[in-house]
Amino acid sequence: MAGYSLERLNFLVVDDNKHMRALVKTILHALGSKSVVEAADGADAFKELRHFPADIIICDWNMSPLDGLDFVRLVRTGKDSPNPFAAIIMLTGHTEMHRVVEARDAGVHEFLAKPISAKALYSRIRAIIERPRPFIRTATYFGPDRRRRQIEYKGRERRKTVKQEQVVDQSSVGLSQAEVEALLSG
Amino acid sequence: MSGDEPEFIQPPNTLKNKVKYGPDGVDLDMLEKAEQIIANLQGNYLEWVQDDLTKLQGFYDKALATPEGERAKVFKDLFGVAHDVKGQGGSFGYHLMTAIGNQLCRFLEGTQKTGAAELDVVKVHLDAMRLVIGQRMEGDGGKMGENLLRGLQAVVAKVAPK
Repeated sequence: MAGYSLERLNFLVVDDNKHMRALVKTILHALGSKSVVEAADGADAFKELRHFPADIIICDWNMSPLDGLDFVRLVRTGKDSPNPFAAIIMLTGHTEMHRVVEARDAGVHEFLAKPISAKALYSRIRAIIERPRPFIRTATYFGPDRRRRQIEYKGRERRKTVKQEQVVDQSSVGLSQAEVEALLSG
Repeated sequence: MSGDEPEFIQPPNTLKNKVKYGPDGVDLDMLEKAEQIIANLQGNYLEWVQDDLTKLQGFYDKALATPEGERAKVFKDLFGVAHDVKGQGGSFGYHLMTAIGNQLCRFLEGTQKTGAAELDVVKVHLDAMRLVIGQRMEGDGGKMGENLLRGLQAVVAKVAPK
């Protein structure tokens, strides 16, 4: 059987719990990753990013002094951010819908509810590989396009300056029912 | 740029250049092996979780020794550890630990009070976690696990705000 090789990807794992970091790192190594760097909080992670070109950041929400959400905002909109386009997977036990929306609005690519498994983590990595999204900059947001589904929109088109050549096919993108239920079940 | 004129940016797709699709990639066999490696960490988890149980006991003792009106910070600390228990148990086959941790989290974030009754709720959840680990109640714990959760839910129902 064939699949995506993760061998050349750089992963940054950010979690204040060393056991969770060990678990994520173990999974990534088992999936063939060679380059995994750890950080214990958002501030440490931001420092790491200055010299470690992370392709995918896997970060926890609950950390201090800089929590996961602040870290994501810093990566996306910080003036000295080394990589505002880095793919970010938010790893969290906070799966209530308002929390999901909050993280989405901070600019994360994917959510992964704890407790995690190898299959669940890989499914989010695969989604990032297979479905690259354009980034959007507005007065209040910078991050991956939050419109993950192709739905018929009957309201006023607020994206009136969209250039046709920049529109990407998103027809296959969307949260599965299982994901939505997982997120809603908290 | 005005607020209602979003700018679309196509970031450089470096992943596409770095990730090859082929026989050496992640397939079902590799995923199964990865799941097995995690399963083999169960012994480590049983050691790690003792740290969490010790922390929970420590914060519980600290809350007891703290005047009721000043316990908010300790309750926040209790929530943090319960959240870790919730987030880890299921990865290592202890789904009942995740369920108990989740219930304690929901209770702690929902309650406005930090009195003796609330501390009793914390204590029974801590005792239940100890029982699950002590008895090696893997998965959902079967009938015993079901009874345990039902008992904890009854305690929460008595104390939680209506």
